[in-house]
Amino acid sequence: MRRGIFAFWLFIGLMAVVPAFVQNAFVLRIVTELFMWIGLAITWDVMAGYAGYLNFGHGAFFGAGAYTTAILMMRCGWTFAATLPVAGLLAGLAALLAGIPTLRLKGAYFAIATWALALAIQQLALVLDITGGPDGMRLPPFLHPVFFFYVMLAVAAVTFLLLWLLLERASFGLKLKAIREDEAGAMALGLNPARIKIQAFVLSAVPAGVLGGIYAFWITFIDPASVLADIITDQAMVMAVFGGLGTLLGPVIGAIVVFSFKTLFWAYLADYQVLYLIILGVVIALTVVFLPNGIWGTLTGQIQARNALIKGMAIDPAQGRHPEQGADSND
Amino acid sequence: MLLLPQALVDGLLIGGIYITIAIGFSLAYGVMHIIDFAVGEWIMLGAFLGLYLSQWTQVEPLLLLPVVFVVFAVLGYLFQPVIHRVLSGKKGNPLLMALVFTFGLAIAFKGLGLTVFGFFSRSIPSAMAADSFTFVRGDFFVTIPVIRLIGLAYAIAVTLALSWILKRTDFGLAVQALAQNKEAAGLMGISAKRTNSWVYGIYVGISAMSGVLIGCMFSISAQMGGKYTVFSFFVVVLAGMGFLAGVPWAAFLLGMVQSFFLIYFDPGYTLLAVFIILYAVLLISPKGLFGKGV
Repeated sequence: MRRGIFAFWLFIGLMAVVPAFVQNAFVLRIVTELFMWIGLAITWDVMAGYAGYLNFGHGAFFGAGAYTTAILMMRCGWTFAATLPVAGLLAGLAALLAGIPTLRLKGAYFAIATWALALAIQQLALVLDITGGPDGMRLPPFLHPVFFFYVMLAVAAVTFLLLWLLLERASFGLKLKAIREDEAGAMALGLNPARIKIQAFVLSAVPAGVLGGIYAFWITFIDPASVLADIITDQAMVMAVFGGLGTLLGPVIGAIVVFSFKTLFWAYLADYQVLYLIILGVVIALTVVFLPNGIWGTLTGQIQARNALIKGMAIDPAQGRHPEQGADSND
Repeated sequence: MLLLPQALVDGLLIGGIYITIAIGFSLAYGVMHIIDFAVGEWIMLGAFLGLYLSQWTQVEPLLLLPVVFVVFAVLGYLFQPVIHRVLSGKKGNPLLMALVFTFGLAIAFKGLGLTVFGFFSRSIPSAMAADSFTFVRGDFFVTIPVIRLIGLAYAIAVTLALSWILKRTDFGLAVQALAQNKEAAGLMGISAKRTNSWVYGIYVGISAMSGVLIGCMFSISAQMGGKYTVFSFFVVVLAGMGFLAGVPWAAFLLGMVQSFFLIYFDPGYTLLAVFIILYAVLLISPKGLFGKGV
């Protein structure tokens, strides 16, 4: 655990000095976007991995945050920093409203409702005047790549730390996992599953909204086809699934791998952009069939199994069900 | 007010098509407990197969419906064992994983569609597309395009055929038994694996056929899948998940919503209205309009 904290601060420290050595704007841009995707992937995993509910509308919260920042800055004259809390709050409010009817029900309803919500918000941005419709919105250019590098890093790091404290240190994570494994049992222990799930949903939506707000000001142009596209949810999902559901480090690793691949693909095979969609889908499907714990879950499962073997401990096969305890889960 | 009869008739006719995009899906959910996110993508692929077949053979696309059904039923039948493997996995949450899996499929199919068919919208040329009946009485008038009437007839035929299969054949009995209790059905000698494969094949075949009809009435494109996925979700949730008898009513309601928004409001708000109704139903009666969902 102490080693984990050390590694976290080491990583943040290493990243913080990157702009001092790297002047190349392209590289800075890539790393900045990587932080954003790490943030989106770990927040998506709060619902999918910890609560066991699939959110197919994560991109909608990101887009709602982006539009909030854009509208407040352009139509109301707010400063950038003031818009971010509102972007997060609005995304959280949307999650609260969407979660109240659906999180009482089985996961299938939640999946359908979030997917429909994403399409509805997309449609809303297209028809409203205040969002500029299909033409999108332009924000005042603020050309300081280093500034955005630090802002994205800070938000992603704070999100990670907050989720780590809540999900791995505090009892909140245990409660969520209890509900994921056996909702009736969790209720018998005095937990209120609906309320805890809604809290988790809001917790996962707020950082996505803030990241969207930063993205809008950073890229300076947003439209429904960019910040509300299905590909945002798709990508956050493949990162989390491929990295390993139900862990915090898994999605981070997944984000690094998938985003690196995407960048290389875009750089060298830009003519075959739609192929990327096929690869994304096939990776998700194959991961589910052959690597259900993701790369990180499989790796830690193997290490645990070996340690257990060394210690001569018997492994209870029934415990192998959870990604983080997956002793027998590496076939 | 003059357009009211037209709006009602349009809603009824469009609603017919929505029966067929949702009924197979509802059946698959009822038996296999799987939400197939690729439903819209199956519709899209079916539509394009119809388009290319009719261009190649110069045959009326409506006559090709059985061919499309057979091709996709076989595809679905061969595909189901993979889903079965995910669903019967012992690790993690199989239902969750199955959702992720079909979502991945949907993305891959969409990418495949964009690669092969391009970004453009097209429509399937049918000889029936131009004809229509017009009824006039006083100030009121109603126009019924022949192709939409055929669509409604097709929807009714599919619904009746499906209910006959489910109620009158041994296979249908097996499907019902499986939907009620998987273990007990297995003890009675029903192979869950094979029956599920047939159910999935039938569902994929019906969805693909509906795609061809949609192509004759409206336009098709590689990106159309998402919209029809939401429509079929809407119908299935309103009907009650897995409750087949509710599907036609929910589908007609969706047809009415669409035609009224088209005529009286801005069609851009249709998807919003769909979401709001979905939200209200989930809030008030999550088991569907009839309270019979599972």
